[in-house]
Amino acid sequence: MVQEQQIDTVDINVNMGPQHPSTHGVFRMVLTIDGERVIDVEPHIGYMHRGAEKLSETMDYRAAIGYQDRTDYLTQFMNEQAYCMAVEKLLELEVPERAEYIRVILCELNRISSHFMFLGAFGIDLGHFGTSFTYGFREREHIQDIFEETTGERMMYGYFRPGGLVWDVPDNFVQRVREVLPKSLQGLRDIDMLMTENEIVAARSRGIGIMSAEDAINWGLSGPMLRAAGVPWDLRKDKPYSIYDRFEYDVPVGRHGDVFDRYLVRIEEVRQSIRIVEQALDQLPDGPIMPEKMPRRLRGPEGEVYAAVEGARGEYGIYLVSKGGDKPYRLKMRSPSFCNLSALREMTVGNYVADAVAILGSIDIVLCCVDR
Amino acid sequence: MVPDDETQGEPEGAGDASASAKRAAEAKLEAEAKPENDAKPPEDEDPARPAPPPGGIADLLAEALPDVEMTAYQGMTDVIVEIARDDVSQVMKVAKEDPRLDLSFLRYLCGVDHQDEGLEVVYHLLSLEKKHEVVIKTRLGTDDAKVASVAAIWRAADWHERETRDMFGITFDGHPHLVPLLLPEDMTDHYPLRKDNPLAEIEEWQGDQLPEEGAGGSMTR
Repeated sequence: MVQEQQIDTVDINVNMGPQHPSTHGVFRMVLTIDGERVIDVEPHIGYMHRGAEKLSETMDYRAAIGYQDRTDYLTQFMNEQAYCMAVEKLLELEVPERAEYIRVILCELNRISSHFMFLGAFGIDLGHFGTSFTYGFREREHIQDIFEETTGERMMYGYFRPGGLVWDVPDNFVQRVREVLPKSLQGLRDIDMLMTENEIVAARSRGIGIMSAEDAINWGLSGPMLRAAGVPWDLRKDKPYSIYDRFEYDVPVGRHGDVFDRYLVRIEEVRQSIRIVEQALDQLPDGPIMPEKMPRRLRGPEGEVYAAVEGARGEYGIYLVSKGGDKPYRLKMRSPSFCNLSALREMTVGNYVADAVAILGSIDIVLCCVDR
Repeated sequence: MVPDDETQGEPEGAGDASASAKRAAEAKLEAEAKPENDAKPPEDEDPARPAPPPGGIADLLAEALPDVEMTAYQGMTDVIVEIARDDVSQVMKVAKEDPRLDLSFLRYLCGVDHQDEGLEVVYHLLSLEKKHEVVIKTRLGTDDAKVASVAAIWRAADWHERETRDMFGITFDGHPHLVPLLLPEDMTDHYPLRKDNPLAEIEEWQGDQLPEEGAGGSMTR
């Protein structure tokens, strides 16, 4: 050991991605390593940049909804909701009760399905092979079926509209959701039993990628990343939007801000989302799903609005500037994946190379949302 | 239907009792603080820019920064404060560090191209403790698109500023690593989100295919 310390070592640059199974999409990072330690990380993004913000400036308010589905393709409903909320604020549209309830139900189901995706992929990132992945995907598929029955699409729903919804849910919607919720809960238990106490998961995720509460705020982290650091910040509670103030649920927070806490927070969030969906189903009123007086063509006044929702990955916000007319003048998407990923270097430096994969996995990025 | 007020209570058993106690304490503080600063003379301003609510974030900013010239008004969703470009560093530093403001969270930072009226940089700041927020804006000339970086104040600004540089060609002085982020490294001659940057033909065409007045844009597909 004494001899080894005297040997001069050379720092090596290792390229990871853009085609790499553990980068969750087209993402590239260049690791500078000293032995097994990471001493620098340079993330490279933009492979998926399609200029969604610019394109939205050329579309009328309804047409741009499609681009919301294509940013974060795992939480489409939440993106649509943020966008529709922005347009509704601008045009001062009132969303009918029933539409609000259906939005909440779908958004929370979306959160559950997105977290199942995370839990599955996270297992693979930690070398847990495919069991957790198949568990996660099995449960996600049940929820995906409901989305398909409701919207007619598996991924690009385009179901929310400024003012409400494009059409009402199928007659058996409530019954179908009630069927699926116990399955989701059981699936969550399976994953919980499989991973939470697992030796591999603990060894690979405890105490790495730590972000203190102060750092997490400074880096603009949001969602489970921020809550895992011990900050009980949830837009649904702290800046209530839609009808979230009518439901009872808890906001889970972590204590250490490490990779394992991010996993635990997401596990608990699934339970809380199930609680919200159950309450929303009980309260679901009848009625219209669009305001009675809806202009045929949406024209915004001059002004600017910001609307944000608590997405599965954090705060997804739309900053919309209007100069009149039927198109946004400027549309900025505040993407939680982008903001959370920017702290990758901070979290990774000092850890082992293998941990870089676990840390990247714990951010739960969607590259389409990062690049927009 | 459950009435709003009853369910709006604190999150229980979320694992952090102190946080919920903090929330309660803050709510109390806010309630106490509100009636104090009520006397605010209504100013004769144009109706599109109503005065911000008295005792709110705009007044706190003015109080913390008495020497800085600021134009504050109530936007559609947030209080908007316009400042001069040269004051950005000073205002942002105080906004984060002054305990009355405590704007510790940068929600986003972005550019807006107002064509003849120059470029605009928008900072949306939020306080997680006090739950107030403010949009701070500054104007830059299109030919002289430079502003001080705030990446040293909020680390979150790091990537936002790099993105804004890519898209609008705004230089953030003092940024530690202002290199292209989303765009290729050799694409330095044009800035996609500026209004004078043309779209590809196919995209223009899509824009023209929008539903005509009265014909489309219906509520159903």
